Amino acid sequence: MTERKFICVSCPLGCGLTVTLDDAGEVTKVEGNTCPRGASYARSEVKDPRRVFASTVRVNGGKLPVCPIRSKTPAPRGKLSEIARAVAELNVEAPVKIGQVLIHNVCGTDVDIVASRDLAAV
Amino acid sequence: MSKNIDVLIIGAGPAGVAAGIGARREGAENVVVLERDWDLGGILQQCIHPGFGLRTFKEELTGPEYMHRFIKIAHEEGVEFRTNTMVFQIDRETNTVWTMNKERGIEALNPKAIVLTMGCRERPLGAIRIPGGRPAGIYTAGTAQRFVNMEGYMPGKRAVILGSGDIGLIMARRMIWEGAEVEGVYEVMSWPGGLRRNIAQCLDDYGIPFHLKTTVTKIHGQDRLEGVTVAQVDDHMTPIKGTERYVECDTLLLAIGLIPENELSRMAGIDIHPVTGGPVVNDLLQTTNPAVFAAGNVVIVYDLVDNVSDEGLIAGASAAKFAAGKISAGTRRIPVKGGENVRLYSPQFVTGETDATIFMRVTHPIEQACRVFAEPGLYSQRLRYARPGEMNEVKIKAEQIRNLPDLKEIVIDIQPV
Repeated sequence: MTERKFICVSCPLGCGLTVTLDDAGEVTKVEGNTCPRGASYARSEVKDPRRVFASTVRVNGGKLPVCPIRSKTPAPRGKLSEIARAVAELNVEAPVKIGQVLIHNVCGTDVDIVASRDLAAV
Repeated sequence: MSKNIDVLIIGAGPAGVAAGIGARREGAENVVVLERDWDLGGILQQCIHPGFGLRTFKEELTGPEYMHRFIKIAHEEGVEFRTNTMVFQIDRETNTVWTMNKERGIEALNPKAIVLTMGCRERPLGAIRIPGGRPAGIYTAGTAQRFVNMEGYMPGKRAVILGSGDIGLIMARRMIWEGAEVEGVYEVMSWPGGLRRNIAQCLDDYGIPFHLKTTVTKIHGQDRLEGVTVAQVDDHMTPIKGTERYVECDTLLLAIGLIPENELSRMAGIDIHPVTGGPVVNDLLQTTNPAVFAAGNVVIVYDLVDNVSDEGLIAGASAAKFAAGKISAGTRRIPVKGGENVRLYSPQFVTGETDATIFMRVTHPIEQACRVFAEPGLYSQRLRYARPGEMNEVKIKAEQIRNLPDLKEIVIDIQPV
């Protein structure tokens, strides 16, 4: 049996979570959470930690030289630097629409990279 | 010629856009929001990380996504926006608002009511006296954020972050994602300035060291920053001899606090609170100039944009009521006083005309069960802890105030139980 402690990042409350795992690595207890989101975050964090990735891509002919992007859904934490490199290589043409898919299934994670603002062409 | 403006709003960030919506929904005909930038959204345009709007939209949006939704609603509600428009003066006698725009030239606007939503700006290097040179490579975290997220420039390759406000923490992670190194985050206080979840997801996730009770004591470099000296501080925030350490870096980011931006408010002759740095307001978000209202970070610096939008809606609605002659000069004005553990709070007056939320921060962390309350017997709520980096709220119903016609004062505080 092991215990892991970390801060829940699901909302600004930032609850201190204590997760108890049995010898097979299964979660047996979650303490310290205020809401059900905290419990599901705790389970995900010990088995398959994920984060939303947010960055920018280069834009050709836009009102700004870069456009913000995000992973539409949380991506595996261990893959973030690989995703960052894939995003850094991208160049898109203006105009860009919010929600537009810029990379489908980035780095084989089943997660899409989408634009997070409208950006008009000059 | 300009048509008659009922409610004029200064600044199209989250507070201003919400104020426009609030004013239209309350029935104001001509509602105009002025914005000095070419685009709407204010500082949230550069806050491209997720974490916004969980309360309002039940999902975590990035800053641009959050504003996209509010701007869409504002357009649907019939709010007029004028971008590239700078307000450079407000006359205190007539409430005339002077604006400047490349196409329209200089204009004098005489709205029936004004809402101030200019937001805040960052404390600069000049606010903390660090010995040494003033080389290139020192930025406030928000300036660096704009460079990276909107203008496509990286400020440097190896950064030190001074102060642990949320923008600094967010920028630590952002620098890493853009391929830079972050040597560490240094905070002079014994507690973090930002939210704990940002310590977890921006520093801990990337192994960035976080040093409390430590500060930058010297800046090195002539043309370009070459490094900084850091040192631990004692309980009086004096650097401790022998703890100095040289840290090589080409970038120093400052996340040492935010100050409400109130040059225009001062011109309008309204009272500025010495502690919040924002206008003194009542629960209608009316300033000491009855025709002028204020909302968001120009009043008091909030943790969450959801609160800023909520306050914007209230200020816009109040301004619309004033424009329609529905707020009488004889409105009650019951002062709110902060108790011994309260550093700042807003609003400072309660009218009993509306349900009131009073936002407050404690002076120091109370790491035990405590109670946030408003006397006499108006509100009481148990808390697991209270921390300066996380705002607390007191809620008072209009009916409670109406039932106490002789109420002279409300005292709010947080005390251990």
